[in-house]
Amino acid sequence: MVDALSFSSEVSNLMYASHGDPITNCLQCGTCSGTCPAVEFMDHTPRQIIGMIRADLKEEVLASNTYWTCASCYNCTVRCPAEIDIADMMYALKRYSMWKGTFQEGLIGPAFSEAFVKMIVNSGRSFEPLLAATYLPRFNASDIIQEGLMATGLVLSGKMPLLPKRIKGLKKFQQMVRRIIPIGEPS
Amino acid sequence: MNAQKKLIIIDDDPNYVDGIKSVLETANYSVDVAYNPKDGFKALQTKRYDLLLLDIMMGRGAEGVALARKIRKDPLLRELPVLIITGIREQIAFLFPGQPVHPHFVELDELLEKPVEPKLLLEKVSSLLKMAEEKKS
Repeated sequence: MVDALSFSSEVSNLMYASHGDPITNCLQCGTCSGTCPAVEFMDHTPRQIIGMIRADLKEEVLASNTYWTCASCYNCTVRCPAEIDIADMMYALKRYSMWKGTFQEGLIGPAFSEAFVKMIVNSGRSFEPLLAATYLPRFNASDIIQEGLMATGLVLSGKMPLLPKRIKGLKKFQQMVRRIIPIGEPS
Repeated sequence: MNAQKKLIIIDDDPNYVDGIKSVLETANYSVDVAYNPKDGFKALQTKRYDLLLLDIMMGRGAEGVALARKIRKDPLLRELPVLIITGIREQIAFLFPGQPVHPHFVELDELLEKPVEPKLLLEKVSSLLKMAEEKKS
């Protein structure tokens, strides 16, 4: 039992189920940043974020868009010579920022996550057209046209339904979720 | 009979823990803290406590729930009263409508939502301790 908890310990607690405190093993070799396909969109590279966590730069880490930009491709995790699950660390930071409401404004990730969780908890399955509606307003016109074309293709080829499908026993599913976690009544 | 009651808080939020710990210590409880469920369960197994204050959202998700279920299965810990203090409905970034559904994880438990008023916290703690004692006798 510790008296004062550093930010790096908080992050390590968030990753507890997977690896104890793996971040302290980081060599700062930069393999994660070099292999990351999304790094050019990040405020800080994954290597920098690990360094910042170890330096307890809590506010700077939370204000960065890095962990919400992570595409979860797991290249960094697979290639890390210190065997740190960096993608899992990004998820840990996502959870932390959602639980405390401390993420950068204007990001698509948190809004998407919120819509996704709400949808699953209420209806038991994902429905892409409704999910897309949560982040489309943040796109510019040409992106929206591109998304629209892709959606049309998916619908025409039968890969995406136009109307949501209901699961069997929805009421029971909703009761089950609420037996596991104490959220509110179904809407 | 009036020995100081031993409480343990299992919560990953250091700021929140500081707050409720000082409220409880001012009310003359002895308070231990664990910042993750694993250390928390270890502490529960090595020391005897009169009450557990348990957070839900820790680690990879609702690990507090998993811990409560583990406590329910443990014959030595089963009787331990648990006060669940959670911000889960807000923490997953949106409030679900209506009152929180209290799933009753262990035999004697209560649910409070963060942020908790100090007065309400102390009331719930003492009523749970009382109920546990009545049950024992």
